[in-house]
Amino acid sequence: MATLRVLFESGDPERVIEFDPQKAPFQHDGRPGSILDVLLAHGVPLEHACGGNCACTTCHVIVKSGFDKLSEAEENELDLLDKAPGLTPTSRLGCQAVVEDDVEITVVIPRFTINAA
Amino acid sequence: MATPPQRVTYEATVERIDELAPQTRSFVLRLPSTPRFTFRPGQFISCILPVGGDTIIRPYSIASDPEDPSRIEICLNLVPNGLGSHYLFSLALGAVVRFTGPWGTFVLDEPPHAECVFIADGAGIAPIRPMLRRALARATHRVRLHYAAAAAAHLLYAAEFEAAARTHALFSFAPLLHGSFLEEIMRRYVGADADRSRHFYICGVGEIVPQLRDLLRRSGYERRAVQYEKW
Repeated sequence: MATLRVLFESGDPERVIEFDPQKAPFQHDGRPGSILDVLLAHGVPLEHACGGNCACTTCHVIVKSGFDKLSEAEENELDLLDKAPGLTPTSRLGCQAVVEDDVEITVVIPRFTINAA
Repeated sequence: MATPPQRVTYEATVERIDELAPQTRSFVLRLPSTPRFTFRPGQFISCILPVGGDTIIRPYSIASDPEDPSRIEICLNLVPNGLGSHYLFSLALGAVVRFTGPWGTFVLDEPPHAECVFIADGAGIAPIRPMLRRALARATHRVRLHYAAAAAAHLLYAAEFEAAARTHALFSFAPLLHGSFLEEIMRRYVGADADRSRHFYICGVGEIVPQLRDLLRRSGYERRAVQYEKW
């Protein structure tokens, strides 16, 4: 089982989600097994204005631990992240970062995901 | 329970429906006067559509100009088994469409101080249209549109682009109905000269978009001068 620990910059209480990455997808938006996929399937809202298709930055998350264990970012994701407010060296788009193995990941959901550059 | 982010949801009314091409329609949505909706050329709205007892989110680029504050236009293909497009194609005039936005960072506020090349594949013309119009309104350098479609009947807004090409000295319109987009762009912008000052705006469906991006960036164009949106 993989563990996804979710912290909220808004101050909401943290959530810990355990799931089996082999059973992805868990719902219909984002790449199968992505952070967005896992969160939405477990009742944690994460914006995804483009439907989880790597065309905006509203699902921006900051990875606090386990960054190297996520799927590698492709150029499209990196280009979009360039325009994300509050970009950090461990920023990812929730719809693209896939939890592929039984690993432990901690992410922070920023308070604002204002999309307009 | 986590608090969902609060966003303004707009309720627009379907004011006009046009059959732009076989299986392709544009929907003109009349906007509410409050809250006022504003956007930048190239951005999209995120429609909240009630489908089969569920709610689905579908992004649609705005094909009209931001200068009109009272309405926006979206255009889309009827996608086989596509829940969003089938729902929208079933709507009649007067129907209400809820959406959030504007979203997206594929925008053009001011034309670059360089030759500006728009590349659109199919319905990818939607966000390009207001970007192109903004670029033409303020152009100081050449502006080109390369637009690929399966057949002439599928070139959306073609009469408008042809008219602009006749009246605007800096603008040229190059529809592409046969042959390879990749080869055409390579021939014109990679092989033809050593000028790498151009700016590109590319939109379309599928792998052609990153292929064009990679071709241009690897040929010496500056990374940020090659902007794109892949659907």
